[in-house]
Amino acid sequence: MIGALLFTVFVVLMLAGVPIGVALGIGGALAIGVANADAQLLGLFAVPQNFYASIAKYPLLALPMFVLVGSIFDRSGVAQRMVIFAVAVVGRGPGMLPLVAITVAMVLGGISGSGPANAAAVGGVMIAAMSRAGYPAAFSASVIGAAAATDILIPPSIAFIVYSVMVPGASVPALFAAGMIPGVLAGLALIVPSVWISRKHGFGAGETGLPRPPFWRSLKDAIWGLVAPILILGGMRLGWFTPTEAAVVAVFYGLFVGMVIHRTVKFRDLFDIFREAAELSAVIMLILGLAGIFAYSVNTLGIADPIVKFIAASGLGSIGAIVLIVVILMFVGMFLDGVSIFMIFLPLLMPVAKIFDWDPVWFGVILTMKIAVGQFTPPMAVNLMVACKMAGVPMESTIRWVGWLIVSFLAVTFLVILFPELALWLPRELGY
Amino acid sequence: MSPRRTPEDWIAVLAMALLCLITFGNVLVRYFTDRSFAWTEEISVFLLVVMTLAGAAAAAARDNHVRIEYFLTGGSAARRRFLAVAGALVSTLFFLFLAGLTADMVWDEFRYQETSSGLGLPRWWYTVWVPALSLVIAFRAAVVLGHMLKRT
Repeated sequence: MIGALLFTVFVVLMLAGVPIGVALGIGGALAIGVANADAQLLGLFAVPQNFYASIAKYPLLALPMFVLVGSIFDRSGVAQRMVIFAVAVVGRGPGMLPLVAITVAMVLGGISGSGPANAAAVGGVMIAAMSRAGYPAAFSASVIGAAAATDILIPPSIAFIVYSVMVPGASVPALFAAGMIPGVLAGLALIVPSVWISRKHGFGAGETGLPRPPFWRSLKDAIWGLVAPILILGGMRLGWFTPTEAAVVAVFYGLFVGMVIHRTVKFRDLFDIFREAAELSAVIMLILGLAGIFAYSVNTLGIADPIVKFIAASGLGSIGAIVLIVVILMFVGMFLDGVSIFMIFLPLLMPVAKIFDWDPVWFGVILTMKIAVGQFTPPMAVNLMVACKMAGVPMESTIRWVGWLIVSFLAVTFLVILFPELALWLPRELGY
Repeated sequence: MSPRRTPEDWIAVLAMALLCLITFGNVLVRYFTDRSFAWTEEISVFLLVVMTLAGAAAAAARDNHVRIEYFLTGGSAARRRFLAVAGALVSTLFFLFLAGLTADMVWDEFRYQETSSGLGLPRWWYTVWVPALSLVIAFRAAVVLGHMLKRT
């Protein structure tokens, strides 16, 4: 009964366009109040405690730091130099620029932790270049929106940080390592249809005659950016620094490259870079805090129990249950952004994961892959939205192209569902 | 998106910058002296909370919080206006409510003289900013509400 109240209030407020965090907070607080009708102050003292405790966590510091890394590298000029170097390696011709765009997005994924920042960095360079070479703008936007989605799988990743904070037993380094192979596979899975479509329609034939950039000089220009993922991932691997510290090292490295080497970042830009990153992180972390109230209600009032019993009694089995979850979340993902989905559904899903004895790291990778697909599945597709805005096309126009990329990405997701070792082998090998 | 820099922007930016400096300082100190200053953890968590709430106020002022816009942007003008006004009103009231409850939490910490686990400082020194900044968020949401009401 109280469970129904909690969800009805939450869903109605959310659909009415109330900020998601506020809807979570009101639903949670109301359920606490009704359940403790005879307690002092209706038991509402749990509201500020859970709100504060959900934000005041040291490991969460990695989140704003990696958001800041994304904002800095977005403007540091490394994306452009990586693109020139990639063209020098693969050459020119139909299908080459999508290949370059996806590869560069994957390398940038090893620096930044958020999809939209990646889409902005790659889109800023590639969209104009692809349109000059004769690719339709809607196709370019689709490729870039999808390519940027590999960012949250390839470490570092903001989605993994949020998951780790919410799920005990899934450490950030283990999740980061587990995302690597699925992320690279997803990138390859996007390259195949993009190149195939370009060849079939002859996109990009317009650039075949252009000169190829000189290899060594473009490598020299790109090396500052190419070293960054090695510094971040290698430094964590060698135990030089924790994920949070790796992010801060990347902040200073990015500022050095942007301000001293490439000179694309001016001193007066710093305020706006920091402001943008602070606001973006705050929006996520406020929801995280208010979702703490919601999660407390769900847990203490036993709201997940009927759902868990239903799934356990349905006879779906382990694979059936996870496919069901992915399908439901895909539907929900049409209206909600990925990180919010984590915060709303994890309290409900973790008990389900427990019955089937799913590895929390593997489960995190599967959910993150689902979120990654959602980042470029219209209508609620953050990455695609960024790419479409830069390309100046409406999102509807991409449906013709982006469908193939969605199918391809989903195929990799099901591979990881069927073969959990794709996610779990690397973290075990590295000893996390 | 207004380019004007509000006090919340400054607080959030300064908190973010300090977080970077403290964490980077920790890395340097550990490598050069083999010591770590773990006590900074408590300060960092405090700055993280301040950055979150100040940034949330900045986002509220620009009406940038994540929401489902499907019903908000469709339908008749009257319905859109109603939902926009109701949403801003609900947000304002909620943050007032949160400010009240957190103020109560801080009052208890003050009354019972609770101290922080790391540095042994009075806990309310850290937490008193939570109700204060929640009030600022409520204020920013109320300003947005005012604009919505004026716009016909």
